[in-house]
Amino acid sequence: MNTFRQRIRESIDNESLQTALDNNTERRLKGRAIAFQSIPNLEERRKWAHAIRADVVEHLDKYLEQFVAKNEENGVIVHRAKDAAEAVKLVLEITQHAARTTHKPLVAKSKSMVSEEIELNHALEKEGIEVIETDLGEYIVQLRHERPSHIITPAAHLKKEQVAELFHEKLGIPYTVDIPTLTATARKVLRQVFLTADVGLSGVNFGVAETGAMCIVTNEGNARMVTTLPPVHIALMGMERLVPNLNDLSLMLSLLPRSATGQKLTVYTQLLHKPFPNQQRHLVLLDNGRSRLRNSPLKESLYCIRCGACLNACPVFRELSGHAYIGSDLSIAPYPGPIGSVISPGLLGGNYIQLAQASSLCGACKDVCPVDIDLPKLLTRVRAGMAAVDDESGTEGAGLSSPTKLFLRIFARAASHPWLFALSQKFASLGTFLLSPRSGWVRMPAFTGWGYSKDFPRFAGKTFRERYRGSSKAGNRETENRPKAQPASAHVNTFPLSDIQFAAELTALGGQVRTVQNPTLAALELLNARDVKKIHLEPNTLDEELLRAAGIEFTQEADPQIQVGVTKALCGLADTGSVLVADGKGDPLKASLLPEVHIVILRAADIYPSLSDAINLVKNKAAAVFITGPSRTADIEMTLTIGVHGPKEIHVFLT
Amino acid sequence: MTTVQLFVTCLIDSFFPQTGEAVVDILNRLGISVGFPREQTCCGQPTFNAGLRKDARAIAEHTIKVFEKTEGDVVTPSGSCAHMFRHNYPELFEDDPVWLPRAQALAARTYEFTEYLVDRLGVTNLGAKWHGRLTYHSSCHTLRGIHVDRQPRALLSNVQGAILVELPHADECCGFGGIMSVEHPELSAEWLKRKISNFESTQSPTLVVTDAGCLMHIAGGLHRTGKTQSVMHIAEILNQQK
Repeated sequence: MNTFRQRIRESIDNESLQTALDNNTERRLKGRAIAFQSIPNLEERRKWAHAIRADVVEHLDKYLEQFVAKNEENGVIVHRAKDAAEAVKLVLEITQHAARTTHKPLVAKSKSMVSEEIELNHALEKEGIEVIETDLGEYIVQLRHERPSHIITPAAHLKKEQVAELFHEKLGIPYTVDIPTLTATARKVLRQVFLTADVGLSGVNFGVAETGAMCIVTNEGNARMVTTLPPVHIALMGMERLVPNLNDLSLMLSLLPRSATGQKLTVYTQLLHKPFPNQQRHLVLLDNGRSRLRNSPLKESLYCIRCGACLNACPVFRELSGHAYIGSDLSIAPYPGPIGSVISPGLLGGNYIQLAQASSLCGACKDVCPVDIDLPKLLTRVRAGMAAVDDESGTEGAGLSSPTKLFLRIFARAASHPWLFALSQKFASLGTFLLSPRSGWVRMPAFTGWGYSKDFPRFAGKTFRERYRGSSKAGNRETENRPKAQPASAHVNTFPLSDIQFAAELTALGGQVRTVQNPTLAALELLNARDVKKIHLEPNTLDEELLRAAGIEFTQEADPQIQVGVTKALCGLADTGSVLVADGKGDPLKASLLPEVHIVILRAADIYPSLSDAINLVKNKAAAVFITGPSRTADIEMTLTIGVHGPKEIHVFLT
Repeated sequence: MTTVQLFVTCLIDSFFPQTGEAVVDILNRLGISVGFPREQTCCGQPTFNAGLRKDARAIAEHTIKVFEKTEGDVVTPSGSCAHMFRHNYPELFEDDPVWLPRAQALAARTYEFTEYLVDRLGVTNLGAKWHGRLTYHSSCHTLRGIHVDRQPRALLSNVQGAILVELPHADECCGFGGIMSVEHPELSAEWLKRKISNFESTQSPTLVVTDAGCLMHIAGGLHRTGKTQSVMHIAEILNQQK
């Protein structure tokens, strides 16, 4: 038995892994289904999203040129890397250059699957650079010296007891399985990392060709930290991850979080145009096989937006988790699940070709894909040798075991010749009767594969073709050929534009919403109740005279010691309970990120129905973020925990 | 009089001929004459799914030629083979200007058995009778490959005396997947276990399927573990007249 099959057996036999995976699957699928009830026309959206991604991949050169030009105009330093080695070298050089002192350079990293693909951490560490993952799940797997087991929830394979032991051992805290305590510990440790890192490194969810925006979504707030606090930010991006404009982006954002985590919108949806003052920003665009994939029959795999829904829906992934998707060199494939079984061999070749054969082609992946990628078709193409990266991935029956291949070749010969086929049936029938004269079933040994868990039916004594004597006389009844009427068109929801909906959505996420006459008085009430004397305040937001009179000190400078930040919101979104905060005087982006409590002043008149109505407000902003509730994570046992890296509380004062 | 051509499928031909006969009986009772081109073999799906496209093309060319000599719709009691004709044959000949139109012509006249009854003939009640519980497993290629699900369910809902019980996670794969069940028996075994346990939870003695692949897989698993429940092709249920 090959090692891949051994690894599969180990996964299946690992009880705690199986429990974790079952929980992950059930909750994710349910969460996704519920999330999609809140938007109309899912099927139309999927087709539309498919068309947008198809257009981007078809005209990638044009969109890339536009995206790069806009970024350069925005003051971003753009690099192109043709392969993993080039990308690693670029990041290394930028980091070494950025290191401020003689201490060991420190890179604070938020989730990036591309960095897994190019094995960046390992390469940087080898050069004496310290790399710390800051997504809670990634941090956990890094402490365990593992790779992520899922592209969205990296620690989906672990139970809380394992995390408790890990934190006890590595971070020196008393053993506890209390998930909020574990999360708070990570917050404390990682806050220091954000504040002292030389370089912040992030992935990019979407690049917007029209404006050059990099869209990055996270729930915990770690991507906001690494893109905001360190003096140098490196954004690492697969070159195909573009959308033409902001409207297209809003469509993608209606699909991505719902598919990935069952959220209507991720807590922090960042749009970065220009670097912050005193910050240098680099964008590394990675090819690493994407150009070749684009010119191959596997092109459609480049439409992927990395939501992970196909992993959750896949019965193979449900048994395996990401760690069992291994190559023939035993290395773990960077991308697991159905999409991984296409692009891991598609990008990296024959080493991962065996993954594509581990599928029943059941199609559950295609059904949940938000951009409607025909994954079963792509899997059969990989099997047909169309990855064609090297000899192994370029032959028909790629990844198939030799006995099966031989059997199928003989079978094909028979099936193209009816007399040979009928003869084979005769022999097979005779054979199974000899093996099992008394039962309709044959017990085969386990090594045959089939015999591992089931019996094989005995061939019929007489086949259908032998028994068939022609159609009996048909009745006299005339039958009309009438196709049935099409089902009624999709039900369309309409959404009321209202502050009530906004309040309901945000409250459901754990935020607070109040309609206030005087926001300064309301803020004072909150500050007094908590005995807070100093706040980070965006100018022209509260009545500064009144604050002074009440003895509250305020500053426009970010300060990690401050517990409350107060900002305005450019707008609110009714259907998700989000507020938009943009870069400006007094550093509102940091005021909405570093403190534990964020107070937002929002005019009720500025509430839009949905993201698609408001997305163009960010067009001329250096940077902006849609904030949807308090910072949160579900990285440990999918248990929702509030307040990871960003604020634990968000209070919206409606005026 | 309407004539259809039966593509009986290699599994039914070889293992379950009585299912093919039930299909013929039902169609005959509806006044449809059924042709059976005897040169038919297998649709070629095992080779196609394995990635052996050259071999799959040889079988597909043979099958296309066999049915080109006939007239009328092609009816097959398998969502999986219908999916093969409809989607995979055109994929196989994508770059072949000679064979692509011939493949598309076959695809256009092919119907899965229950799809043919409900969508093409407009029949949902066949006057079938049953006693006791039945539960329905949605075969992957029937459900997600050719989007046929309401048709078999409508037909079953009109079986007199049958108590239909919903199978939990009816849409999950049973773990057959053709050669996957041999290439990855460990995976296949896990899904089979889950399918059987969901089946048992319905307390129905009979599981209904639209595909002989799922049938031989689930029934083989039941037999191996000494269980007495049975798996039946929908055609045999619908053909019960007393």
